[in-house]
Amino acid sequence: MVGNTAEAEDLTQEAFLQLFRKISTFRGESAFSTWLHRLAVNVVLMKLRKKSGKETSLEQVTEPDEESGSPRRDFGAPDLKLSGSLDRVNIQRAVDQLPPGYKAVFVLHDVQGYEHNEIAEIMGCSIGNSKSQLHKARMRLRELLHEIVREKAREDRRAAESASSGED
Amino acid sequence: MSTMDCNAFWNQLEQWMEGERSSDARAHLRGCPNCRSALTDLDAIRQSASSMGDADVAPPDRIWISLRAQLEEEGLIHADRHGWADTVKGWFEEIFAVVPRPALAGAYLVALIAVGLALAAPSYRRSDGAQIPTRPLTAQLNTDEEHAISFVTDSDPAVAASLRKNLAIVDNYIALCEKSVQEEPENEIARDYLYGAYLQKADLLAQMTERGETR
Repeated sequence: MVGNTAEAEDLTQEAFLQLFRKISTFRGESAFSTWLHRLAVNVVLMKLRKKSGKETSLEQVTEPDEESGSPRRDFGAPDLKLSGSLDRVNIQRAVDQLPPGYKAVFVLHDVQGYEHNEIAEIMGCSIGNSKSQLHKARMRLRELLHEIVREKAREDRRAAESASSGED
Repeated sequence: MSTMDCNAFWNQLEQWMEGERSSDARAHLRGCPNCRSALTDLDAIRQSASSMGDADVAPPDRIWISLRAQLEEEGLIHADRHGWADTVKGWFEEIFAVVPRPALAGAYLVALIAVGLALAAPSYRRSDGAQIPTRPLTAQLNTDEEHAISFVTDSDPAVAASLRKNLAIVDNYIALCEKSVQEEPENEIARDYLYGAYLQKADLLAQMTERGETR
């Protein structure tokens, strides 16, 4: 979720520290695995929010469209498809740029395979909210990946031009 | 013929991705290459993301060592003998893992293990039943250790001090492990710790000797 091994290790340690510190607050109202996952996700979200310089709620860390509160509508064009450009590096670069709330739901659902009801419990939000965050996350990722693909195409073009001018 | 335009389709896109697909949306999609392209992208993102989960890795040992140290510092857990030994063993493994010197360390190790066994029992019994006194071996090892220390005595004082300090730590660690083995000779974990401790000391002595020789 943080896209950085060293940071992931620090957060793993922090999550287990929190487990030891807060184990007495576990009252058995949910499955222990859910409680532990919520604790770990909170540790990660705190870190991501600190990094982005915001002390905000899950709702506020997303980026709704300014006017409608829905994702920006980039209908795209049939000639620009992502399917051939989706390598791990590109995806990770795009995921890194997502707001913390989007990122958490996207990673939990699409990467780790949790269901919306589980994510809602882990993140303390409604199922509808989890679905909506996931949709916005995917749409934002699509925009980011298109930007990455376009940037890569520009770089390739510049490289080809400088190579051909070098031959002249 | 669909009555749905792109905006209306996008209003339903979230439901579409969740599997709720109206006939109007299907009809729109058949006639709209732009919306088909967007859906292809979203499907590709979803599929690529699911393969990212395959890269899960186990946290490295140093996390548990560091975690234990912090928990002990905060008083959330209390150090036990094996836990402490485990921590120190891991620490030494990390320190010395980068300096392989198998031949020299191997020679020291053989001597160290022999001495360690001698401490756990007064003498070796060979396969033919003969008893082999181990005191001369201990004496030999002490000589070797003095030899290794003398190599670094005249070298860089900071390096020499550091090596001596490490040697003292390893010796303390060995003493602790030997005590455990003497108390519980059948405990495999205790014997593993002792073996690891010998390994660290053998490596350290080899390191000291090599430093002296390359001066």
